[in-house]
Amino acid sequence: MDDTEPDLSPTPSDQNSPSPSLSISSSPSLSLPSTPSSEGVGELSLVIDAEVAQRACQEVLQKVKLQQVEGDVTDPQDRVGQDPPGPPAPALTPTVKPLKIREEVDDPEGVAPGSVKSARRRQRHNPSKQSWLLRLFESKLFDVSMAISYLHNSKEPGVQAYIGNRLFSFPHEDVDFYLPQLLNMYIHMDEDVGDAIKPYVVHRCRQSISFSLQCAWLLGAYSSDMHISTQRHSRGTKLRKLILSDELKPAGPRARRDPLTLTPFCPVTSPASGGEHSLSPSKRTHQRSKSDATVSISLSSNLKRTASNPKVESSQDEDSSSSSDSLEFEIGPPVRLAPQREFIKSLMGIGKRLATLPTKEQKTQRLISELSLLNHKLPARVWLPTAAFDHHVVRVPHTQAVVLNSKDKAPYLIYVEVLECENFETSSVPIRIPENRIRSTRSVENLPDCGMTAEQRAGSFSIVPNYDNDDEAWSVDDIGELQVELPEVHTNSCDNISQFSVDSITSLESKEPVFIAAGDIRRRLSEQLAQAPTTFKRDPEDPSAVALKEPWEEKVRRIREGSPYGHLPNWRLLSVIVKCGDDLRQELLAFQVLQQLKSIWEQERVPLWIKPYKILVLSSDSGMIEPVVNAVSLHQVKKQSQLSLLDYFLQEHGATTTEEFLTAQRNFVQSCAGYSLICYLLQVKDRHNGNILLDADGHIIHIDFGFILSSSPKNLGFETSAFKLTTEFVDVMGGPDGDMFNYYKMLMLQGLIAARKHMDRVLQIVEIMQQGSQLPCFHGSSTMRGLKERFHMSLTEEQLQLLIDQLVDGSMRSLTTKLYDGFQYLTNGIM
Amino acid sequence: MSQVEKKAGLLRRTSSSKKPLKEKVVLMYDEIFAKENPAKNNPRFWDELFLMKVNLEYLESKLESVDGEEVQRIQDNINSLFHHCVQALGEEHQIKVVNALQTLCALFRGVHQKNKSASGFDIINMLMGFDKAEQRMKDLMERLDSLLCGDGSESLKSLCLKLLLCLVTVTDNISQNTILEYVMINSIFEAILQILSDVSSRGQHGYDAVVLLALLVNYRKYESVNPYIVKLSIVDDEPTLDGMGMVVHQALTEYNRQYKDKEEENQGGFFSTLTSMVGSMFIADADEKLSVQTNEAILLALYEAVHLNRNFITVLAQSHPEIDIAVTPTTPTPTTPTTPLGTTPPSLDMMNNPELPLDPNLQTSNLLITFLKYASIVMQDTKDEHRLNSARLCLIILTCIAEDQYADAFLHDDNMNFRVNLHRMPMRHRKKAVDKNIPSRPLVCAVLDLMVEFIVTHMMKDFPMDLYLRCVQIIHKLLCYQKKCRIRLHYTWRELWSALINLLKFLLSNETTLLAKHNIFHLALLVVNLFNMFITYGDTFLPTSNSYDELYYEIVRMHQVFDNLYCMVLRVSTNTGQWKEAASKVTHALVNVRAIINHFNPKIESYAAVNHISQLSEEQVLEVVRSNYDTLTLKLQDGLDQFERYSEQPKEAAFFKELVRSISLNVRKNVSLNTLSQDVLLKEFSTIS
Repeated sequence: MDDTEPDLSPTPSDQNSPSPSLSISSSPSLSLPSTPSSEGVGELSLVIDAEVAQRACQEVLQKVKLQQVEGDVTDPQDRVGQDPPGPPAPALTPTVKPLKIREEVDDPEGVAPGSVKSARRRQRHNPSKQSWLLRLFESKLFDVSMAISYLHNSKEPGVQAYIGNRLFSFPHEDVDFYLPQLLNMYIHMDEDVGDAIKPYVVHRCRQSISFSLQCAWLLGAYSSDMHISTQRHSRGTKLRKLILSDELKPAGPRARRDPLTLTPFCPVTSPASGGEHSLSPSKRTHQRSKSDATVSISLSSNLKRTASNPKVESSQDEDSSSSSDSLEFEIGPPVRLAPQREFIKSLMGIGKRLATLPTKEQKTQRLISELSLLNHKLPARVWLPTAAFDHHVVRVPHTQAVVLNSKDKAPYLIYVEVLECENFETSSVPIRIPENRIRSTRSVENLPDCGMTAEQRAGSFSIVPNYDNDDEAWSVDDIGELQVELPEVHTNSCDNISQFSVDSITSLESKEPVFIAAGDIRRRLSEQLAQAPTTFKRDPEDPSAVALKEPWEEKVRRIREGSPYGHLPNWRLLSVIVKCGDDLRQELLAFQVLQQLKSIWEQERVPLWIKPYKILVLSSDSGMIEPVVNAVSLHQVKKQSQLSLLDYFLQEHGATTTEEFLTAQRNFVQSCAGYSLICYLLQVKDRHNGNILLDADGHIIHIDFGFILSSSPKNLGFETSAFKLTTEFVDVMGGPDGDMFNYYKMLMLQGLIAARKHMDRVLQIVEIMQQGSQLPCFHGSSTMRGLKERFHMSLTEEQLQLLIDQLVDGSMRSLTTKLYDGFQYLTNGIM
Repeated sequence: MSQVEKKAGLLRRTSSSKKPLKEKVVLMYDEIFAKENPAKNNPRFWDELFLMKVNLEYLESKLESVDGEEVQRIQDNINSLFHHCVQALGEEHQIKVVNALQTLCALFRGVHQKNKSASGFDIINMLMGFDKAEQRMKDLMERLDSLLCGDGSESLKSLCLKLLLCLVTVTDNISQNTILEYVMINSIFEAILQILSDVSSRGQHGYDAVVLLALLVNYRKYESVNPYIVKLSIVDDEPTLDGMGMVVHQALTEYNRQYKDKEEENQGGFFSTLTSMVGSMFIADADEKLSVQTNEAILLALYEAVHLNRNFITVLAQSHPEIDIAVTPTTPTPTTPTTPLGTTPPSLDMMNNPELPLDPNLQTSNLLITFLKYASIVMQDTKDEHRLNSARLCLIILTCIAEDQYADAFLHDDNMNFRVNLHRMPMRHRKKAVDKNIPSRPLVCAVLDLMVEFIVTHMMKDFPMDLYLRCVQIIHKLLCYQKKCRIRLHYTWRELWSALINLLKFLLSNETTLLAKHNIFHLALLVVNLFNMFITYGDTFLPTSNSYDELYYEIVRMHQVFDNLYCMVLRVSTNTGQWKEAASKVTHALVNVRAIINHFNPKIESYAAVNHISQLSEEQVLEVVRSNYDTLTLKLQDGLDQFERYSEQPKEAAFFKELVRSISLNVRKNVSLNTLSQDVLLKEFSTIS
């Protein structure tokens, strides 16, 4: 921990300065001589209430203005010096706070001129540029996007500090979107920006385990491009260590030691400072999470040996988490982060080991067996960061996992059963239910379901005479059986699905021979086989095709049926792709851009369809991807169906005149338009059919943004066209003269116009990430310029239309697309 | 003394152990067998005794040589010895504990040896005295329990287990071992479980613990409430169950490996035979005989776990990479005696070692796969009594598995595909199919393959009727599950059909010889009903519509067999005789098969006549079949998808009694060898203390 100190020591003074109210809450604890680690407390005391922070913003801004008036060069030390005299009175009266803040926020916009305060402000300084900036900052229009942009562009420490504090007032989700940008700035930009950002990050880390880990992972990943010697001492690495050391606990437990608290022996009551993020730690849950951790630690400490992790500090982190003994445990949850980290580490370990196996089949088998071992450690206080709701992972249905197609790496797809909960940090971890416990639940639960499918499939009868027998057969107790052995007629499983068995039971009573036609049996067989939804054939070389083809709903139902947890109402199924050995930072960048464009198009009401999928960067060479459900790659479609794309559409959705087909076609066109623009703007390359998915509704979805902006695969000079538009695509749209094709081009035009309008929001994302990055997509100096040019700000709408026509024509006629597909087929076997 | 020397010679003791003079301990034994209270003259007699190295041979032979009347005289001394043994178990001095354990072993064995015909009560009286027996045994079990559960020496634990094994197997029939009544009351079940749940102790003692458990479960199984049965049936702790599975898995894997090695040796050249000869000079003979028998014990344990504990089923599918024990260096701890059991407890444990070995050639395996491979080996040759029993037990286990819904679910799980290399008997009329590339398939395919393989390879004069019945019933149960859950398994059903038809053919051609011993009609009925399952319910579980056509093709092609069968059963059922009813059932069951034959044969003939073809190709026949379904009417038969669930009692009780007896004998033999060669162990403690 010692190496984090130098980093910490300058910050308290700095951080205290913008938020005077803090000093009030922290100073009593500091003044106490009995406090064992004073510098630690100093750091820990940095609990920033969002409201307090907001107030602090105002203060800082005022000061900035003052300083500007005086013409002083701002110096952090100076500001500290000025700080203590003016702790604002309101901070002492917390009950009034929210009201007052609202006043102040509303202040500058409307009624402001009349108020005394603004009048005073106007008196104080000249109507300079700053005031306009101030008005912007205080206006409702000032959103996170702008904040990030000013944080990045402004050279003014005061402005940066203001924005740093202003971050507290934005909704968490909005800031979270820009977390990569924030952290990248923290790592790679100058001290002032870092100092401005840090309080916010620290504050959020205290509040949330998942935010802490998210930060730690991103900090690790974005620091990795630095030279190893500078990296070790960089701000990013230090903050990462601080987070992982679990120093940043919520204020709750610390407050327990605070003598000001009147009820020191009651751990649950936390003082005002801990109100919103108190853990209310029932001891049980901690114990649970601790035991989870220690169990899994033994697992991963072994993994560690094989894992050739270049991260220097990884082993150190390991020790800190595993050495937590029961004594430490008393003061707080020392293993707050550990279970999740171990979980992630195990998943990565599996990926690394899979990569050493030569065949897909072996990989699949190994994957299944490794996951079944992992299951022993679940449920635990672990979760999938890609999910949108709070939950605990309870089981990995290991037999459902598949290895994805990749030549040398071994990405794999797992399904994860989770139980939704209020808050994964405080809700108690579900109790383990043994694997075979389904049997007891199944007999009860399956009855209605079973009856339904029976009717669906056989459709020939509605009376189900002997469910009871059936039920008994499932739940026959071996022990009971051992002692009383009754040779019952019905102890076996009489099926009631087929018509015959119903008949057979009636015939048992009536003793009249029942006759059936052999032709009926044969017919039913072929009908049922035809009825069954088109599935892909199992191919050991492409195990994922079958798994991905199965409709998501059906898969959920099936897995739920087979799961011991399936009967719980809050049971959910998630899936995630685990990538090991792949850098997902570009994917994350692409996700952000896609997400941004999506919201731009939504805002502008342009019906372009794209599907950004969530990316979790764990390090510079590992991560997780949220899979797109109900989608298979065009390659798999073509290989399995042996049909052209149009024929496949006809097969899946019906004839060209049907409602279903038309809907699917419209979806196809809208998604094509969206992705064509994306491909053009981001220069997405490597567009072979394995990287384009087709979902059950007819949308196409591009995946794998490994080659964007300035990078392209092997620089073969292939793929010169703007985007991929094969004749097969055009055929699905109804040919190059059809209405749908025109609609496609119209959509692209509208999309480009909308995107152009909000170009800055897109550029900003990319530009900030370029800072300090060695990613291939930023190769060369013209990345940003090129990107900006592709928005064609200077063209009129007519000219834009022309441009779109050219792009489409060029892509359609492009030989290189075809060539590239052929090249992929030859080298990677992708059709 | 000469006897002792002989035994010592067998054990290849060093000559130093042959001492011309009587050892001190022997003198002390003599004192015990004298009338006087040995402690009368020497108050420290018992203390000293347990510091002496035990001379088991002498003590046992002495006990055996005691005459009926003498017994009365020395009973007090023997009771006293037993009492002090139990007390010494609580000593801190480990040497004393070791000696006490061994002395107890000798006591149990010697007394039983002497009084083979005596009632259990007499034995108890002689060892402990009636009035004190309950307290003594309670103390003993408690001491053993705490030794087994404590953090003491591993070799001590091992010795405790040996003592328990020795106690459990002193009688040929375990149920006549009255002392075990006390073991029932004072359960050591928890201690056994603890050994199995802990990784390191499982590695060293797992085998003994599992065998002990299997034997204890079989004590008066059918007569009284055995607490071990009850307890075993409700265990739901996964690590423990996994541990048990792991022990079984390793023992079976070891057997499979040995078999494979031997097989390769036999195929290998002169040099390998030579080396194997040299190697076998030392251990081979004993090893070879023992391996089959010891695995019966492990197989019994597997059976009890599968049969009694429904949670254990999940363990079967618990996959882990196959451990090639031959490759991984087993580090024999000095305390572990080299077991002639054929299975050195493998030190490498998968649960212990999550960092799985990175050998790409390792196949992922699970207990079920290993078991299937083992079964395929055992089933190859059922002439030997032991192997027959093993094969029977294997089939019984498979029956239990096939009846279990969860097991069926993973057997049929399309995502759990494995290559299972079953061993196939080399036969004259077929090539050895080793290099046949087995595709990766759901596990149920391997089970079906195994059944087909058995059916094909055991049509012999000494017909294993019982095994055939089990085999066909297993297939039936699997089909019922598939029908019920509408699982369309992509399996080459044709192989099964032709195997079943060949079986019918065999029954027909050996009717007279077989009828003398077996009810062949019952088997024939089961086989015909399998066909009826396919005919009437094929629509629910056949993988393709073509397969239904093929079924008809196969029946029509082999119509001669069905015709002959019909003639035969008709003949028997019209005569009066013991088989009348059984045969008439078969005639009824054949109704649809005959309808098919009678319907399609004329159609095919006329097709041939019309098209002037003498020999129709398969495709042509299938075409005829396809176009003539509609005019065929079948009769619905009752209860095709019903089966009698497996029950151990009363049908199998006799088999298990016999099996347990033979296992007992065998375990006793091995334990005696082990307990006697504890020099190393003594050495360990003498250096420690």
